[in-house]
Amino acid sequence: MKNRPYRVILITLLRELFLTMLLLVGVSVVVFAILYAAPGDPFSALLEGQLATDEVREQIRIAMGAQQSWYAQYFSWLFSVLSGNFGTSVRTGLPVSGELFTVSINTLKLTVGSMLITLLVAVPIALYTAMRDHRVVLGWPLTMFGYLISSLPLFWFGYIIIYISIHGFHFFPLASFGGESWLHTLVPVLVLGLGSGTISEVIRQLREEMTRVLGEDYVRTARAKGASVWKHAFKEGVLLPVTEIIAAKIPFILGGAVIVEQIFNWPGMGRMAWQAALDRDFPVIMGIVLIAASFVRMGSLLQRMVFIAVNPHRQRE
Amino acid sequence: MKKYIQTTVDVVDYSSLPLVQKYALADLLYVAYGLLIVMLVLVSYFAGMFDMLPHDPQQINMDLLMSPPGTDGHLLGTDFMGRDILSRLIVGIQAYFLPGMLAISIALAGGVILGVPAGYWGGRIATCITYISNLVDSFPRMVLILLVIAAFKPDIYYIMIVMGITGVPAVATAISNKIYFLSQKNFIEAARALGLRRRVIIFKHILWYNCRALLIIQATLGMGEAILLETSLSYLGFGVQEPVPSWGNMVQSGANYFLQGNFWPSTAPALAILFTILGFNLLGDGLNNILEDRRGK
Repeated sequence: MKNRPYRVILITLLRELFLTMLLLVGVSVVVFAILYAAPGDPFSALLEGQLATDEVREQIRIAMGAQQSWYAQYFSWLFSVLSGNFGTSVRTGLPVSGELFTVSINTLKLTVGSMLITLLVAVPIALYTAMRDHRVVLGWPLTMFGYLISSLPLFWFGYIIIYISIHGFHFFPLASFGGESWLHTLVPVLVLGLGSGTISEVIRQLREEMTRVLGEDYVRTARAKGASVWKHAFKEGVLLPVTEIIAAKIPFILGGAVIVEQIFNWPGMGRMAWQAALDRDFPVIMGIVLIAASFVRMGSLLQRMVFIAVNPHRQRE
Repeated sequence: MKKYIQTTVDVVDYSSLPLVQKYALADLLYVAYGLLIVMLVLVSYFAGMFDMLPHDPQQINMDLLMSPPGTDGHLLGTDFMGRDILSRLIVGIQAYFLPGMLAISIALAGGVILGVPAGYWGGRIATCITYISNLVDSFPRMVLILLVIAAFKPDIYYIMIVMGITGVPAVATAISNKIYFLSQKNFIEAARALGLRRRVIIFKHILWYNCRALLIIQATLGMGEAILLETSLSYLGFGVQEPVPSWGNMVQSGANYFLQGNFWPSTAPALAILFTILGFNLLGDGLNNILEDRRGK
């Protein structure tokens, strides 16, 4: 080890940080491009139902200090977003940023919780089937279960769970959020964790990775000399694939959150995005897309950090 | 001297090779079930074309609200407006099929355009394409679609265009990995040595002979995703609008009565979604195991 590992780690980390920044800039360009291409400008919302002429529109643009060229618009928009000003909601007239903060915390709770549920269910199954041959008796039902659950429509699954909890346990899971009992949080988290279809993907990928690692020479050596196979296979066989899958599945889970929040009246980003799409509330949905994309990028940044920490000398895949 | 004589291989060794490749029974079952689901798409279009639906899917019958399956000629019962659920399910297939095909074609075309140069030349092009796919992957698909809906209008074809574009990176990565794997094989080297044009090598030898199975598999799996997305957005009220039947909006309209104990109007379309997506996923995986020979490794 001639190169001190922390130096390598530092350089790689800086590179990853830079790439994350670059991708976030790319995200902002895409969002801006979609808004720019949208028919009608945001100012039309102010003039709704007034049959405004082009001249009046122009005057409003000037009065509100809107630039004409697209790059000037982009940069002024970008700087206001960076300084935390996402604009005001067309529907409520309130600044978006404050509301976005609470809402994204709520969604974060939902997604992290459901991720934990997914892993709690999927990892044991995957490891069990990887240790044995997956043609073993239990392998088949498990595979079928994985297929079924990944095809399950989340919205219907949610209703079933609500029905069961009302009629079976006399518990109404939609009452209100953050309220009376932890069960109000647990039920939506369970629905998203079990029904989002991530479970089968986790089982499949983890099983494949684990089977591969278990066949590697160093694991065979460990087994031959009587050392713990788990200890040797854990990093490459469990830790890396799990973090990789989590990072890759964040966008998917956030998408599922839109539906679960809708079913359970959970005041999160997904529900807010749904409302904003109904109202064509540009500032709100724009802020949500930016925040959701930065969640995704943060997730993969963390994944890269784990990857580097596990194996500092393999900087690239 | 005997030990220096090379022993010959028994003829039996060759003849014992299977003449017809045997596939795992499970994979054949997967594919058979998947093809059954694909057949249903044809059934739906033919039934619609030749007027062979059991009932008019739009006809409202106020005397038979939410009747259970089997009442009065309604094989799967009626919904909250007395419309025949079976007919609406059959017509509902059309709500996902053409939009899904659009999404798949965009994803495959984009995937080939990006994946082929990345796999064939590698290097800087591959890095560039990795960044593009990272960028596209940064957006949660559902949230991006909601943005597009807000910016343009809630139309299933806009939704499917977004779905197609966001599906490009996955296809591109699969193709580029496959091509990278192929380009180390001898036959590509041989084709080059024979002086074949690059165009011919790429399109005929790589894409047509070696990637068509991959493309079909990607298309099948993409269809499963497209159904999930179409039904989800119709459920949220942005996809196919009432009174045109889509499985998603059927679940949604039935859901209002679900908690009162009227399961059927939303359970029937939900089961249809479940078994259709299952069919496409099984078809994709079964084809993957058979054509790409991945099982039993």
